Amino acid sequence: MFLAILAGFLLAFAAPLLYRWLGKWVYVPMALLPFSIFLYLLTLAPAVLGGDNLGELHAWAPSLNINLHFFLDGLSLLFALLITGFGTLIMLYAGGYLKGHPLLGRFYLYLALFMTSMLGLVLAGNIISIFVFWELTSISSYLLIGFGHDKESSRSSALQALLVTGLGGLALMAGLILLGIAGDSYTVSDLLERGDMVTSHTLYLPALVLILLGAFTKSAQFPFHFWLPNAMAAPTPVSAYLHSATMVKAGVYLLARLTPVMGGTDEWQYTLMLVGGITTLLGALLATQHLDLKAILAYTTISALGLLVTMTGIGTAPALEAMVVFLLAHALYKGTLFMVAGNVDHATGTRDLTELTGLSGSMRYTAIAALLAGMSMAGLLPFFGFIGKELLYEASLQESPFRWLLFAVSFFSGMVFVAVAIALGFGIFWRRSTSPTALQHPDKTLLYLPPLLLASTGLIFGLLPGFFVTPLLRRAAEAMLGVEQKFELALWHGFNLVLGLSLLTLALGYVLYRFSNQLLSYAARFNGLYLFGPANLYRLALKGFLAGATKITATVQNGYLRSYIAAIITAHIALVVVSLWKNGPRLEIANRLPELSQLRMYEVVLLLMIVPSLIFLFRSRSRLTSIAIMGIIGYSVALFYILFGAPDVAATQLLIETLTVVIFVLILHKLPAFRYLSHASERYKYVLLSLSFGAMMTYIILIVKQYPLDSQLKAYYGENSYLLGQGRNIVNVILVDFRALDTLGEIVVLAVAAIGIMAMLKLRMQKGDKL
Amino acid sequence: MKTVILATAIRILIPIFIIFSVYTLFRGHNHPGGGFIGGLIGAIAFVFHTMTHGPQQTVDTFLRLNLYGYPRQPNQSRSLYLMRMMRVNVWRRRKLARHPEIKQRMIRIEPIYIIATGLLLSATSGVVGLIAGQPFMHAFWTDFYIPVLGKPGTPILFDLGVYLLVIGVVLKITFVMSEE
Repeated sequence: MFLAILAGFLLAFAAPLLYRWLGKWVYVPMALLPFSIFLYLLTLAPAVLGGDNLGELHAWAPSLNINLHFFLDGLSLLFALLITGFGTLIMLYAGGYLKGHPLLGRFYLYLALFMTSMLGLVLAGNIISIFVFWELTSISSYLLIGFGHDKESSRSSALQALLVTGLGGLALMAGLILLGIAGDSYTVSDLLERGDMVTSHTLYLPALVLILLGAFTKSAQFPFHFWLPNAMAAPTPVSAYLHSATMVKAGVYLLARLTPVMGGTDEWQYTLMLVGGITTLLGALLATQHLDLKAILAYTTISALGLLVTMTGIGTAPALEAMVVFLLAHALYKGTLFMVAGNVDHATGTRDLTELTGLSGSMRYTAIAALLAGMSMAGLLPFFGFIGKELLYEASLQESPFRWLLFAVSFFSGMVFVAVAIALGFGIFWRRSTSPTALQHPDKTLLYLPPLLLASTGLIFGLLPGFFVTPLLRRAAEAMLGVEQKFELALWHGFNLVLGLSLLTLALGYVLYRFSNQLLSYAARFNGLYLFGPANLYRLALKGFLAGATKITATVQNGYLRSYIAAIITAHIALVVVSLWKNGPRLEIANRLPELSQLRMYEVVLLLMIVPSLIFLFRSRSRLTSIAIMGIIGYSVALFYILFGAPDVAATQLLIETLTVVIFVLILHKLPAFRYLSHASERYKYVLLSLSFGAMMTYIILIVKQYPLDSQLKAYYGENSYLLGQGRNIVNVILVDFRALDTLGEIVVLAVAAIGIMAMLKLRMQKGDKL
Repeated sequence: MKTVILATAIRILIPIFIIFSVYTLFRGHNHPGGGFIGGLIGAIAFVFHTMTHGPQQTVDTFLRLNLYGYPRQPNQSRSLYLMRMMRVNVWRRRKLARHPEIKQRMIRIEPIYIIATGLLLSATSGVVGLIAGQPFMHAFWTDFYIPVLGKPGTPILFDLGVYLLVIGVVLKITFVMSEE
């Protein structure tokens, strides 16, 4: 599994190169990769379907409980097969959709990066690695949405998606860490067995809130649903793959994965049911208010995601079974419909529902795919979507205080799905029309083959539900429930209440389709409501943040070196004073006064050199004099170092003082004349600050000297510097051997500082100049 | 700044400065000194030169490489060409007059390259440990002893990197400041 992920990342970064070599054939290797992973996963499938969980552990940072741990059970296998199988088709489709695009290589890079991250996310068995892959999917989704980066709308949509999902990602990280603390393990397989321990922990509620925030932003649940329709700015392969079938289901996956760990409590159930229900209704309602094919599909996707979350919230065995079945069915038909919408857009140049009619003649195969997918979406009999819908109704009608509310939600969304399915699968293609929409180019194989394959999969699964799907879905549901399940999918359940309700849905859906124009005319009346919607709140928040950041930056980063230094020193003084005040040692100055008599002659001489020069420095009105005096002070300090036995430090100090003076002299004559521009009080403020800093340092040193120095370090270095470091100069051996990593860090800082100085002084560098 | 005495003196002093700085670098392991101090001493020599002669003069004198070369003939083998190029650059003075096709090319050694080289040396000296299966920055020493310089080992390489980096940084700052 690790190899599969690694190969994915490697191929992703090779994509631009492959595009240069292979030209339009680049889709061949790009599609082969997910296909081979798909086959590899199929070889693992018998073991998983037999009830085993496969694991693979690679140590990453074991001390922090972070490991590259891969874990394959029914649930991850379902998602992994979906990702790689659909991924293969999407890679082919993208090759046709973006054929001849100059940045196709880059597109494949992003797409393969996303696919691998998503695969890593569902295979990860360590919650920290789940988070890492989670964020990788957010980033690659950002890149994909912003692929048409020359358009303002795609850039802002990409940023919106990144900010919303990134915010959720941060919350998720905190939540996962809390979960790890509560469950005392960061491994999924351990956590799965510690559900009771987690739910009874005091950290359960905060962890739940944070994790739900992460899952809801990713899966576009109310009130974070607004980024998904905007994300349709991405090229259609991306919308089909990320924003209908895989990435938006990452949140659902996480909820499903954590059901045995965190599920079953009232908080979990009611939150998921409430949020999922609102999202379902809202998505379905908004889907009827749009004419853009992709927008309609986006809102029905939101609605479907809401249903999935609701089902996870109910948490009973039938509900979770319905959830996995509907998840698969939805991925199959929604992916197809997105690709169909992409084909129509590609061939006709428009996605407006009202302008498209009678395309079945000119786009035969696309039309067939659309019909198959539409019938699955509407829940017609031999299709997999029918089984999904039956189970949904059954699950929502189970004994519970909210059964009619839940049923109403799924019934309403089912009705809208039928209407949308008729409009997309039938309306624009098969309804008789006297003036079919003209095509700019005929249908292409690479464009109609993937949706056709995907749609017929939906038909095959519907006709032969017992063949491969049932065991897989059963294992997936078991992974969520934690107990052995006996559930068989069957197409025909006999004449019962659910079948009657299905038929009623169809009938009412058709009515809704017939009167959709009337419904649309009400759309304008709701415009006032959008002002209070989350999308507008997001816009206001973003604007506020930017304005606030500008203001804070203008205050904090005012460009005066003196205020930065003053801030650093003030903070330093404040911290030291506070910590000394609270429980620091007190200075006993009385016992120390006799030590003054041990003063040596040259110490007094140095003191007499430094203090008068300081006073002279304050009085001086010339820069040259000031610099010379600074030099005197620096050399005197160096002499102090020599007196107290630190020749290395002294040498460095001497050289640095020399250099400072020389470099000052170099630029001295370029500076303007020395004048006092500030008010005297301004200057005395800094004098006061310097005095207090000096006083504080003196005080600290006096305190330090009050206690006998009791450190093993000096002895250790003294003993080992020659034995281990082969040098007699302890200071240098520490610098280049014992603590060489610190030195390396320091010289890196030095190099960066040099580059910074150059950048600061040479901002007028012309384009094309070298550093 | 034009001072004849300093300007003349610094030209004679620079070799002494540099030899002394290299000596300081190598003696650092057993006596006061080391890469940082050595680098500062070496840099001061150039800074004084810049101060008296101007940055352009310093660059022209010390930080320029003249390379000689000619384009490779279509049917000439690559190794033969490389050997000839090397020979041209080693004994170039004799050859120059007789071969008009030989061109002179100047390479200016930017201080930033010196910084980069120093950083690279320091970082790679640590990688030696990694290759040998030891922790990063693990020191390795040879068994023999070179007079004056001392025992060679990876920490010396590290110190050499520090030395080069310090020279580069000071030169860069000086040039930028004096060109301003």
